[in-house]
Amino acid sequence: MSANFEPNIVAFLCNWCSYAGADLAGTSRVQYPSNVQIIRVMCTGRVNPLYVVNALQQGADGVLVSGCHPGDCHYMEGNYFARRRLGMLKDLLEFAGVDPRRFHMSWVSASEGHKWKEVVEKTVEDTREAGPFEGFRRRQIDW
Amino acid sequence: MDLDKLRETAAEVAGRDDVKYLIGWKKGSYGYRIAPAFVEDAEAAAELIFSPLCTANLATYLTLVEKLPLPRGQEPDDRKVALMVKGCDSRAVAQLLAEKGIHRDEVVVIGCPCPGMVDPDLLAEKYPETEEPAELKWSDDGFVIVRDGEETAVPRDELLAEKCRLCRYPNPVVNDIMLDDPVETWEPAEDEGVTEIEEKEVDGRWAYWQEQFSNCIRCYSCRNVCPLCYCQDCILDRLNPTWVNRSVNFPENTAFNIARAFHLAGRCIECGECERVCPANIPLGKLNRKMAREIRDKYGFEPGLEPEGEPFQASYKPDDPEDFIL
Amino acid sequence: MSAMLLNKEKWPDFVGKLTGKKLWAPQGEGEEMRFAPVAEGEAPALEYGNTRVPPKQVVFPQTETMFRFQLGGEEVEVPEPEEETVLLGVRPCDARSMAIVDNLFGWEEDDPYYFKRRELVTLVGLACSEPGLNCFCTSVGGGPASTEGLDLLMTDLGEHYFLEAVTKKGEALLKEAGDLLEEAGEDKVKEKDKIIEESAGKIKRSVDHEGVPEGLPGLWEDPLWQRVSASCLGCGTCTYLCPTCHCFDIQDEVEGFDARRCRMWDSCMFGEYTLHTSGHNPRPTRRERTRNRINHKYSYFVDKFDVIACVGCGRCINLCPVNIDIVEILRQVKEAL
Repeated sequence: MSANFEPNIVAFLCNWCSYAGADLAGTSRVQYPSNVQIIRVMCTGRVNPLYVVNALQQGADGVLVSGCHPGDCHYMEGNYFARRRLGMLKDLLEFAGVDPRRFHMSWVSASEGHKWKEVVEKTVEDTREAGPFEGFRRRQIDW
Repeated sequence: MDLDKLRETAAEVAGRDDVKYLIGWKKGSYGYRIAPAFVEDAEAAAELIFSPLCTANLATYLTLVEKLPLPRGQEPDDRKVALMVKGCDSRAVAQLLAEKGIHRDEVVVIGCPCPGMVDPDLLAEKYPETEEPAELKWSDDGFVIVRDGEETAVPRDELLAEKCRLCRYPNPVVNDIMLDDPVETWEPAEDEGVTEIEEKEVDGRWAYWQEQFSNCIRCYSCRNVCPLCYCQDCILDRLNPTWVNRSVNFPENTAFNIARAFHLAGRCIECGECERVCPANIPLGKLNRKMAREIRDKYGFEPGLEPEGEPFQASYKPDDPEDFIL
Repeated sequence: MSAMLLNKEKWPDFVGKLTGKKLWAPQGEGEEMRFAPVAEGEAPALEYGNTRVPPKQVVFPQTETMFRFQLGGEEVEVPEPEEETVLLGVRPCDARSMAIVDNLFGWEEDDPYYFKRRELVTLVGLACSEPGLNCFCTSVGGGPASTEGLDLLMTDLGEHYFLEAVTKKGEALLKEAGDLLEEAGEDKVKEKDKIIEESAGKIKRSVDHEGVPEGLPGLWEDPLWQRVSASCLGCGTCTYLCPTCHCFDIQDEVEGFDARRCRMWDSCMFGEYTLHTSGHNPRPTRRERTRNRINHKYSYFVDKFDVIACVGCGRCINLCPVNIDIVEILRQVKEAL
């Protein structure tokens, strides 16, 4: 694919850890790719795996979900549920033929501004390699 | 399976005061078809059978029955439903119980240990059906087809359904009455259908599913026949928000099937009904079996075995695998 | 109208003469046949029972764009089908079903989407020499060689196809084929008649609908509806695969700023088919919906258009996952009357 391809990444960040971590990266003037659109949710446990599917349907090339480290969840267990559900989703998407480089999950705490930068860079690079998402992206197909 | 004992037991259970009706299998209207029977008296019970054709999973009727609001003064009919189950069907009942989809005292489970069912498509292909309802029986090393008075013996491997080759639980895991002695379990075969896709590259996998889901006509047979798809208001039918458009094309069909497979992850008991009923012959079961395999391997969990167990997606372990997390 | 013979060896040439038109024919393997476009230069081999999905999708696509627009824009773009289509190898029951559904789409006002496609379609039928197990066309007004709805009917005589033109479109096709065709002599006509007669004799199932259209409304509260619908799953298989079923839903779809309004098949067997915005559903259970479906096909449609909206193709019987058999239901209806 062309080297000019800029992937669209949608990120679901938990309010207490990852969103704060991303914010810290901003205030620390850390430079990182701007391909990520952030959606703040209160906890990764609240992320319905269908959001990931829906993001891909609506034009995202890659999806990132990021939350608190295990044991640190503001709501005690939300990230544990997310770990299970999104782990299974990753397997399912891979089996259905969606490039595994398109879906990432990470633990980024409120103080890990630099980790956030690395996570974004990895996600963007992986998705850039995978190319624009065609798969089950919504199309208005005429019969 | 002693058919007389089956019918007597069924008549007795259906005749109980606290049982509304009994659901079993009876001969269909032609060829190799089997129809679900809703039995309320001994006369209807006399039609019940249990043969290698009874692939239908009757547990779906436990949750399919509509509960309408009643006129004032009318009491709801709280009687139990009796259900005949094979091994796989009983797992559906167990999973429903674990999820609190039904209560234990709402159902009377009649267990039928299952030596294995035939694949109806293979059967019709090799031994074409006629309009006269045909019969099948088990024999020591396979099946016996009885058509127009003639008996044909067939070795087990020739006609055994794929889901039965992979079966790990032919004996009902939950039951109130057992109609026969437990059958000997067999070594489940390697799931080649799933492995075949796993071995493809990502593009190859997508090409495969794209072709399959281009044939999907969104009849929703798979969803409706599944005993574990019982949401009154299916999220994939919703319009506001629209998760999956109602227009029928392969991106929407793929999204529908992926979403459904995900909702069944850790809940699907691999009864194979979705694949059997699909009018477009899409091998849907592969998606669900792959999920079941991953969950078995990575989390050591199998749905539908513990009526008191914890649902998979609603629980967690502190040491769940997280090798995929950055 | 004239009758001609086509030697099967000349079949690819006959197909080749239909240039400029989109060709659809049954393709696929065994049970999975469906009508699909024929590749350039290929001549479809017409050896099949019947397709799973009926050819109604050519005139009534499963998803059809009604018009496109831009969010915030001012114009509406209506797609116009332009390509002439020839359907090769349609069974008489499916062609008859199109003639029946024409009534509905032409009721009071012509449905422009349907009729535009319908006008562009030429139906070349293939008479049935081996009816399916569950066919019952003869008892609902059809037959293995019924010409209703067809433009040209072919009968397989072994080494030849016997071609009969039914409409002007069919005549035009015969003229185009020109010297590929031979005259059909008396003996060939007799041969064809014999094949059709034998074929009709092989149809084992039948439906006795005497008095049924008038009597059905009287059976509104009959317990038979609960009996026959108890095992229904409420899926859309019977309706989607039925050549005469024609219900549709209309939805708007938006992708960024591109939007379209499209219509797609709907099924009266779905729970939400009659679900009102208030939450009330006049057909809340499968019992009401099954009753409605049978009443619609065998009573209401007869009231309006004087024809039973069932052509006896047997697809619903073959593919219902729980063996709900319309012939059996009608037998019970007749018994209850």
